[in-house]
Amino acid sequence: MDRRITEFIAALRAAGIRVSLAETADAMRAIEQAGITDRRLFELVMQTSLIKDAKDFTTFRELFPLYFGKEAPPPLQQPGGGQLSEQEHEQLMEHLAQMLAQMSPEQLAQLFRSMMTGQPLSAQEMGQLMDGIAPPHVSNPRYRDWMTRQALRELNFNQLNKALRELLDALRDEGMSEEALQAIEQAARENQAALAEQIGQQVAQQMAEQARGDGQAIPRQRSESELLDRPFDQLNERDADDMRKIVNRLAARLRTRLALRQRRGKTGTLDAKTTIRTNQRFGGVPMVVRHRKRHLKPKLVVLCDRSVSTERVMTFMLLMVYSLHDQLSRTRSFAFIDRLHDMSRYFNEARPETAIAQVMDEIRPTRSYSTDLGYALSEFVRDHLSCVDQRTTVILLGDGRNNENDPGLAAFAQICRRARRVVWFATEEQRKWGVYDPGSLSSDIYKYAPMCDAMLEVTNLRQLADAIDRLFVRA
Amino acid sequence: MLARVALRVVILNRKVALRMLNSITDVREILATQQYIASDEICTAMFLADKLGKPLLAEGPAGVGKTELAKSWALANGRELIRLQCYEGLDETKALYEWEYAKQLLYTQLLREKLSDLLGDSRTLREAADRLANEEDVFFSERFLLPRPLLRAITSDQPVVLLIDEIDRADAEFEAFLLEVLSDFQVSVPELGTLKAKHQPTVLLTSNNTRELSEALKRRCLYIHIDYPDLEAELRVIQLKVPGLSPKLARQAIEYVQRLRKMDLKKHPSVSETIDWARALLELNSRQIDKSTLDTTLNVLLKYESDIQRAKRALQGGERGDRPERPERGDRPDRPRNRYPGGEWNN
Repeated sequence: MDRRITEFIAALRAAGIRVSLAETADAMRAIEQAGITDRRLFELVMQTSLIKDAKDFTTFRELFPLYFGKEAPPPLQQPGGGQLSEQEHEQLMEHLAQMLAQMSPEQLAQLFRSMMTGQPLSAQEMGQLMDGIAPPHVSNPRYRDWMTRQALRELNFNQLNKALRELLDALRDEGMSEEALQAIEQAARENQAALAEQIGQQVAQQMAEQARGDGQAIPRQRSESELLDRPFDQLNERDADDMRKIVNRLAARLRTRLALRQRRGKTGTLDAKTTIRTNQRFGGVPMVVRHRKRHLKPKLVVLCDRSVSTERVMTFMLLMVYSLHDQLSRTRSFAFIDRLHDMSRYFNEARPETAIAQVMDEIRPTRSYSTDLGYALSEFVRDHLSCVDQRTTVILLGDGRNNENDPGLAAFAQICRRARRVVWFATEEQRKWGVYDPGSLSSDIYKYAPMCDAMLEVTNLRQLADAIDRLFVRA
Repeated sequence: MLARVALRVVILNRKVALRMLNSITDVREILATQQYIASDEICTAMFLADKLGKPLLAEGPAGVGKTELAKSWALANGRELIRLQCYEGLDETKALYEWEYAKQLLYTQLLREKLSDLLGDSRTLREAADRLANEEDVFFSERFLLPRPLLRAITSDQPVVLLIDEIDRADAEFEAFLLEVLSDFQVSVPELGTLKAKHQPTVLLTSNNTRELSEALKRRCLYIHIDYPDLEAELRVIQLKVPGLSPKLARQAIEYVQRLRKMDLKKHPSVSETIDWARALLELNSRQIDKSTLDTTLNVLLKYESDIQRAKRALQGGERGDRPERPERGDRPDRPRNRYPGGEWNN
């Protein structure tokens, strides 16, 4: 049983769930306490001690039946359900022996004997049986039934029907009563189904083992620094997952740094009022000195160019900004293509990752789109200017390629006047700034540049992390 | 009369406390004595937390009875509940202990004579300082330690239930600080050394999932995700908590609430809000859930104006939530659409 559980845990790990050694030990202790007699209880116990994230429950529930499904092979029936007289039984056995002697191949004879006599196949016999046929070539548990059917076909399982008919005919010729024949047939049919089920379980197990093999083969971790320096536009889908992990790690690291900075930032000027109040209990002797807290938590307004070229960098930036939301006092985010879209509501309702997926899905460029930052800026000034105040940092993410539209410099200047800082995250390498590009024509980035407090090149994850970190430094 | 009732309650509690937990059903029963209806998951988790002596982390949306679980557990076992409400900026001095400066100061003032006796006949300053150093322990003893919830839970003479509420609101540093407490049930006070728990407390952490908790913390806990209950379970809760409400109306109300939860709202009604709503319906003597009832009582259930408007529209227009369903066609059974009808080719 222990072995089975460890195998199950290995499968969980292969499916991407983090299960530590300590948790394995916990699960074992928990099972000791709760016992394994009740299957439902057993499942709950394993779930409580192994799974620490609600989103992993589905994986757990998919895998669990594969390992602890119907552990014991289904019981087999006695020939004729035990209703046969001695004589009838002997007749049956005699004929069976004759038929088995002629039957080929040997596996089929084995199955037939087990089916008629009700003696289950031992694990070893079963193993040999399965070795004789090709292993399943798919490891996805969804195809279990299909692979089982294939295995049965390969074993010529249907031949058993024919053999059973022949046997019954022979017995009928001997003059056995119809009732006895019926009893024999029914028991044999049930046994046949049970054997099929058992073979199905074997197949499922083989598939699970293969899946585990596959799962171990995949993790081919690329080094973190390599991914950090890889330009966003050279990332493919497979990297995206790794990147997301790195983003989460980076965010955690940034958070600790920010928290430290905030703590040290406390030593501002003396707060006389609070100091007197806290020292009342010492008779007014200032034992504990209180300082005025600085409001270090910045407010952010993020404007993102949501076009195909900036999709990736936008995803990562939003992911990072929103995983730091506890370090920010307020974040509003907008996406623009040719018009402005408010993204904040997605983030208010869902976790960052889901929200980003929603944003990508619902705000998408139309077929004949052309980025128009100027118009988006004027819309922002018209509708949302109130969310910019002297504590707000405005981030603009984009390449500044405006398709010859009006750059909206007046609106931009108005935003700059109100905001504490305006930082531009440029998604192109610096050498391409302002250079004519046949695809999207001229670049207006240098027209905006003089008004921004900083222009940062953000073409890979490392630069992005640095840029976000700099937002929190007090200028 | 009242006293007798109180006494009986105490005896009852003692009885419960003495009973050993042997199976999941025992857990369900003792929680039921506190009118807490627990699902299989909750029972298993509490059973294991008790048997393995591990903290239990309960996650889930607000208002599904995570805090209530801790309260009921404490009451049912006749233990004291010590609650630590987490918030941003919570630190050790508020969670663990603080030195009681005022008392220390007072003691030095009052003991001044005694001190001068002690130090009076010392000849050199160094000798006096040494003598004073020998007595230092007096001022840094547990006498002057102001215990905060965590320390109280650890040093308590009776076994207690410690509830660390909304851990996701505390900072990441505090979470790291909790690790020592949760894995070994001990805390280190630099001046005193390490204090170990006399009785291992039952620890319950709750989280509303506003941020991801660290792996290290999760690893040390058992985990349970409590979600909104299904219709039947919620109905049982309402019948238990608001017994006066007619079964028909209760069912109607719960069906409505369950429908609201499927809608795209800013904030979904929680179980506790459902209970409040049921009480309101009872107080107002409502017969059925119609427009006028909703007009007056919906603000108990929903806390945003836009949600209220939307919920009203959903009820009146007969619109089913926000998901318009395909009109059913009774004339023929559903057949697969847009697919090759002769079975799948790939097998």
